[in-house]
Amino acid sequence: MSAHASDKFVYHEPGLQHQFEDMKQQEESVSIGMWLFLAQEIMFFGGLFTAYLVYRSRYPMAFAAASNHLDAFWGGLNTLVLIVSSLTMALTVYYAQKSNRNMQVIMIILTMIFGAVFLGVKGIEYTDKYHHGLVPMAGLNQRVKADKNAHHETEKPCWEVDRNAPPAVHPNPRGEFLWTDCSLAKLAQDENILTPSERFGYYSGGQIDIEKFKGIVRIFYYLYFVMTGLHALHMIIGLGLMTWLLWTAWKGNYNSEYYMPVEMSGLYWHFVDIVWIFLFPLLYLLGRHFNH
Amino acid sequence: MAKDPEHVHMEHDHMTIPKYLGVFAVLVVGTILTYWVATIDLDFIFPGANTLVALLIAFTKMACVMLFFMHVYWSPKLIWLAVVASFFWMAIMFAFTMADYFTRATGVFTT
Repeated sequence: MSAHASDKFVYHEPGLQHQFEDMKQQEESVSIGMWLFLAQEIMFFGGLFTAYLVYRSRYPMAFAAASNHLDAFWGGLNTLVLIVSSLTMALTVYYAQKSNRNMQVIMIILTMIFGAVFLGVKGIEYTDKYHHGLVPMAGLNQRVKADKNAHHETEKPCWEVDRNAPPAVHPNPRGEFLWTDCSLAKLAQDENILTPSERFGYYSGGQIDIEKFKGIVRIFYYLYFVMTGLHALHMIIGLGLMTWLLWTAWKGNYNSEYYMPVEMSGLYWHFVDIVWIFLFPLLYLLGRHFNH
Repeated sequence: MAKDPEHVHMEHDHMTIPKYLGVFAVLVVGTILTYWVATIDLDFIFPGANTLVALLIAFTKMACVMLFFMHVYWSPKLIWLAVVASFFWMAIMFAFTMADYFTRATGVFTT
């Protein structure tokens, strides 16, 4: 058989783009492209983690106090929801490799359901922060009129506030960021574990200044909303990607010869899961051990 | 010679459903462990030991997702390079930033 004859009748996989030699080369090129995209996503979230690292290393007590007002139950539940969605996504790729169209479609739908549950829980949490004056921007919290007839308790110093008490709804006519508790700063002062920045940053006139403490708690909530908000945006984009994948998988585009779009969407989905694996302990679980 | 279509694409028969479920179980156990260990005071080891434990569990979970769900374990060296390099760059970002912040005098741009 001459070389010319074999050129004429060369085998050509249906999924192969013209610029690639063979499927292996195409798959490797697609993978490296996706991984470089993920590398820049790591740097992108890394910037926010750097900001978190700087502030937390300076003001550990304000961050611990702020973190205790996030609901670790919802955060933990969402971690599990995302892990399940990662499993169904991995199985989508598995069934695409096995050319099983029906199971692919089922797994993509399950992944989308779990993604939507995650966003729903996030919505519950954000609403809760809105009701309790924990959104760090003035005017974006629920406005609560001051009740003139209410019995006014004598105001306790901020270090005597019970940090284990459930968050209450306080009068907040302008929807501002509210914070009254500096008990963890007092605890650190008594145990002599304040950082140099904290000695400077929480006090005025030798006394713990709730306004200064509140300012740093507020930075935690800025970071919380930006990091989880950006993560939620990635989830929404992921759901868009899943919708497209559902449509193309429904049409039966993917099989053991050609499944790279499923694999690459999977990489994105797992990446978003990994970001949450770090956000959960870093945002929700600080200083839980101070609550006895 | 025409290529054998059975052997031109990446091999992809490494993971089976029981293996996927095994990795999933590790991730669930890791999550519950993170939650539980955060309520225990580990400051008697050294201050901040809780954070170290939480991060160790998170890195383990991440390694499981990357190696098995994202198939890095069976990927070419070039993919490994991209993965390792991205964490190396992030480590540089952390190290150089903190090298600055840790060496500032108290009260000099502390906020």
